[in-house]
Amino acid sequence: MLIMKPARVSKFEKPGPAPDLPAETGTEAVQAIGRALEAHYADLVQAPLPDKFLQLLARLEGDKSDPKAQGKRDALD
Amino acid sequence: MPSTSFKDELLSETRNLRAFAISLSGSVSLADDLVQESLLRAWSNSEKFQPGTSLRAWLFTILRNIYYSNYRKRSREVQDSDGLYARRLTVPGDQESHLDLEDFRNALTKLPAEQREVLTLIGASGLSYEEAAVVCQVGIGTIKSRLSRARAKLVELLELDVAPQPPAERKVRRAG
Repeated sequence: MLIMKPARVSKFEKPGPAPDLPAETGTEAVQAIGRALEAHYADLVQAPLPDKFLQLLARLEGDKSDPKAQGKRDALD
Repeated sequence: MPSTSFKDELLSETRNLRAFAISLSGSVSLADDLVQESLLRAWSNSEKFQPGTSLRAWLFTILRNIYYSNYRKRSREVQDSDGLYARRLTVPGDQESHLDLEDFRNALTKLPAEQREVLTLIGASGLSYEEAAVVCQVGIGTIKSRLSRARAKLVELLELDVAPQPPAERKVRRAG
């Protein structure tokens, strides 16, 4: 059984092992860490993306696909 | 020359790249600088990307290189999350795990950077051991041992423990 303060009931918690069986909590702890890590990371991934990245990529694409923009300097020479 | 689809692929990976950058640097503003620089570098080196391989792993490699070459000192000075976590924590979103997310985040910051990044790459970003090895420029064995040490350290920090059935519960069972 997983010990954590404060004790919480999780909907993902599996039914406990039979009382006489040694609890394989090493695995359970790793699984709990895995779920927490995913939840933590999901928050980061879902955070609003600043517009500047979209604008940056749009600008880069514009530069590349527009020979005038790309070769402005050359044209001036 | 980069194509429109390459741009779209970069865009579709940007959220993940940023999440990795935040995990790596511990700072949202630093992470945004890192992402910006990585996207620029990826764009100008697009011919070096091998189609069919993981664009995510390739971008992570670029970002990680920039971070360790130029930013690591800065991030140690900063070490903030610019209120991002605090804001997210007001959302009751931790029912899915019986670990308190804030406890978990605190524990995560206490891991050595090399362990935290491997844990993130494998456990959250969905990279394979092989891809993580390429990103971190170490062997697969090293990836596995860092991952295992990271987990062990978290188990210790979070006081997750192997324990026999609590006595109280046994008594109840016996009584029943």
